[in-house]
Amino acid sequence: MTLTWTDWQAIAVPLVLAIGAVAVLLIDAFWRSSPAQLRHTVVTLLTGAVILFGLVFVWAQRDDFKPAFCRPAVEGPAECSLVFEPLTAGLWGVLLLGGLGVVGLSAYRLLAADIPVGEYHFLLLSALVGATTLAGARDLATVVIALEVVSLPSFALVALRRDRRGSEAAMKAFLVSVLSTAVMLFGISYLYGVTGSLYLTTIANRLTGLDPSMQRVAFAAGLFVIVGFAFKIAAVPFHGWLPDTYAGAPVEVTAFLAVVSKSAGVAGLLVLVITGLAPDGSDLRLVVAILAAVTMTVGNLAALRQREAVRLLAWSSIGQVGFLLAPLAVGDAQAVVGYLAAYVVVTLGAFGAVAVVQRHRPSGLLADYRGMVRSEPGLAVALIFFLVVLAGLPPGLAGLFTKFAAFQAVIDAHLGWLAIVMALNVMIGLAVYLRWIAELFRLPADDPFAVDIETPAVAMISLFAAAAVVVSILPSTLFALAT
Amino acid sequence: MITVANDDFAAGVLLAILALPVLAALALWALPVQLGERLAALYGAVVSGLVLVGSLLLWTPANGWIAYVSGGETLAPGEQVKPLHGVTDVPWIPSLGVRFHVGVDSISVPLIVLTALLTFLCCVYSLKITPRIGRMRSLVALLLVIEAGVIGAFSAMDLVLFFVCFEIVLIPMWLIIDIWGDDHDAPGRKRAATTFVLMTVFGSALMLLGFLLVFRQAGTFDLVQLTNSPVLDGHGVPLAAALLIAVGLAVKVPLWPLHIWLPDAHAKAPTVGSVILAGVLLKLGTYGLIRILVPVLPDATVTIAPYLGGFSTVAIIAGSLACLGQTDVKRLIAYSSVGHMGFIGLGIATLSPAGMKGALFANIAHGIITGLLFFLAGAIKDRHDTSDLATIGRALYARLPRIAALLTFACLASLGLPGLAGFWGEMLVLLGAYDPADSLPRATYLVFMVLAGLGTVLTAAYFLRLVRKLCQGDPAEHPAGAFAVDLSRIELITWTPLITLTVLLGVWPGLLLHQWGSL
Repeated sequence: MTLTWTDWQAIAVPLVLAIGAVAVLLIDAFWRSSPAQLRHTVVTLLTGAVILFGLVFVWAQRDDFKPAFCRPAVEGPAECSLVFEPLTAGLWGVLLLGGLGVVGLSAYRLLAADIPVGEYHFLLLSALVGATTLAGARDLATVVIALEVVSLPSFALVALRRDRRGSEAAMKAFLVSVLSTAVMLFGISYLYGVTGSLYLTTIANRLTGLDPSMQRVAFAAGLFVIVGFAFKIAAVPFHGWLPDTYAGAPVEVTAFLAVVSKSAGVAGLLVLVITGLAPDGSDLRLVVAILAAVTMTVGNLAALRQREAVRLLAWSSIGQVGFLLAPLAVGDAQAVVGYLAAYVVVTLGAFGAVAVVQRHRPSGLLADYRGMVRSEPGLAVALIFFLVVLAGLPPGLAGLFTKFAAFQAVIDAHLGWLAIVMALNVMIGLAVYLRWIAELFRLPADDPFAVDIETPAVAMISLFAAAAVVVSILPSTLFALAT
Repeated sequence: MITVANDDFAAGVLLAILALPVLAALALWALPVQLGERLAALYGAVVSGLVLVGSLLLWTPANGWIAYVSGGETLAPGEQVKPLHGVTDVPWIPSLGVRFHVGVDSISVPLIVLTALLTFLCCVYSLKITPRIGRMRSLVALLLVIEAGVIGAFSAMDLVLFFVCFEIVLIPMWLIIDIWGDDHDAPGRKRAATTFVLMTVFGSALMLLGFLLVFRQAGTFDLVQLTNSPVLDGHGVPLAAALLIAVGLAVKVPLWPLHIWLPDAHAKAPTVGSVILAGVLLKLGTYGLIRILVPVLPDATVTIAPYLGGFSTVAIIAGSLACLGQTDVKRLIAYSSVGHMGFIGLGIATLSPAGMKGALFANIAHGIITGLLFFLAGAIKDRHDTSDLATIGRALYARLPRIAALLTFACLASLGLPGLAGFWGEMLVLLGAYDPADSLPRATYLVFMVLAGLGTVLTAAYFLRLVRKLCQGDPAEHPAGAFAVDLSRIELITWTPLITLTVLLGVWPGLLLHQWGSL
């Protein structure tokens, strides 16, 4: 099989990311003599440049349709393994922006000194390779491999600090991930057995023509695949690993898990659902809808009881995934990508703020944030804004309108019960974030948090806040990501 | 029916009074803490004064008021539908079908003026009288944000914009109760604030579901289009939409049994918070019912109107009975709001011109009178450091003669004494219930009317009880406290407009009623 020009174009971004990954590893390994600051800066800039290339590429090609690695099918249109289309562009945009944000949050002086810079950025870029491939994948083999390419670097990242908590967190995530891969492979083998193909479009075509008994098998197989993904994105009841893993990892890695890793899982599931595994009206969509309802409710309820900032964000991110799954269950890609984009920006911002506070107050309790509107007004206002966007209330219009789009998708699909559950969860979610916001406003504080915030942190948090404000004023930009 | 007039001046004014408070609030937060704290109240008074002037500029009866015409009603001879003015209509989020569409008519302008007036008075009041905790900079800024949100909701001509403005006020109001509320009861005020915000958010989320169902049926969020070609059919999806919208708004009104957030929120809020909450925020609910539910879903509204009327009547009775048992002056006034808002709900539920106009009038009258009552309750609470009736003691006529006289005046106005503002709205509502719209079961409404009439008696009973327990009594048994200073100058200045309006609307109800067409 020879690679055509279109194939090269479609894999240009993952390829460049992979080359970048190797390059930063080599720089860090063979340039030990340089001062740490210079080395870290070079690595950061190189990683950033590679990701920026990806963003520019996506922007330039956003309206194109490039099917890659195709082969003529026995029946129907050609079968392709990787497709770059406007939806892919939107997902890649979100993933790469998330990656760029994490790189920014891991600049010199922000990333803990005991974390090896080269490995860290290598793993980050490798995961991004997997994430972008996953969002473009159109056959199940590519999906599984891409998902593993996202997952494996994630465990290594969690364990990078090499202390007990990190290792335990990584171990937990690893075991769950292996299990979920096994479950998914089992489902895929059945799907292959039933339909005789790994290509999503072909599977979709053949699923409709199956006789009823085979359809039951196909349903079970699809269920296994979805359960596999549910482990990766920590949908309830497959979420047990997430809070400990988030709390055990360095904050920057937690941000990576919450942003890149989670978005990649959602992107993969979105591709599977809309390109054929679960066509309109299929029972699998109902499964995803139930998963969404349970996930958001349990995530938000558990978040209500948390007293640590990172754990609160961990549980509330489970709640947010529930909200993402709702439009996903009805196949509304635009609402999913818009929601994901807003979520990525403000989650990065919130973790950025948490990282600043945790560097100086390692306990990470919500009480540490008391009175910050006076003692650290800039950081506090930014954090409040991120939380309000996550809650989806004005002034956080980005969050409000992405939730609105999710509601609209669900209502249009006649899933009234899910809409009611979502309405309840808007309320519970608000209660979660209000507890934190109340701490920030509470005066007088005995020991208010006030430090010299590192310049790169100030820059990154300002950038995230500015982006959140812009998409709040012009929410249409969010929905223009996937048209 | 709504027609639209082109009126650049009014559009400019409307946009200005929407933008000014928000920008002013941001500017106030940007000031250094020391300077901001010192200037906050004055700054707020100037800004909200400007907004008040702007809102009065919108009050141009010669230039385009609409005569309110509901569903099947026809225009009286010589009357014409006057257009919406001050319209700005630009696309905002095309992919979701959301537009930034604002405009005002005779239903919204009085409410906008009321909002601007009460915010202005709160800022003026804060020049001298501040909550103990201070932090005036944030308090004034939050008041301004609330003002902008409420004016936005009153002028929104797009369902989603209405929803957004409806939600803008939530977090600021939550903060006002949570931070500046009752400083003797920190857990209580936090609980009150959280109950308020969570119940309202859930209500507004349900309302949003209703809006989305309307969108699914009609394909637009635009209120002008929806009013001109409403979603007909009183069953199925329109009925579900109407139910969701009605329940969502009923939380805000609040209608019994969804009122449980209200007594605590009002009782724990600081004085200015209670005034804004009772005077302005509750009106968002009734305004939404009149502006959205009735014209957009006329048939479904007919289906649910008797239930709305029933719950409203229960609210009147239950609110009044609850008042009779209260031992806290702020809680008592809060519960009286439940009863008064019940009257407004009943007026809307009659779907008749008289009931609707009565509801609109009572909306304004309640805002003015309850605003005054909460100012007075705040004054009494500040002087005695408690709002418990027994602790305050009796004989205020002897100890604080002017404040006691004003309290009696406000109570009489609130119980609906003819000649004061509270009377006309309730009378028109009862009249409307006597003769509801033809599509409604008249016998049911007659029962409602009788019960609501009984409610007015109960209202009189609890207000007179309040006057007796607080104002009358032997001064010898209840010596004056250390801080018992009678009416201060700033209080007089702040309350004079409210007192004047209470009397003015009482003797000249036509000032407002004519704006909504002839009876």
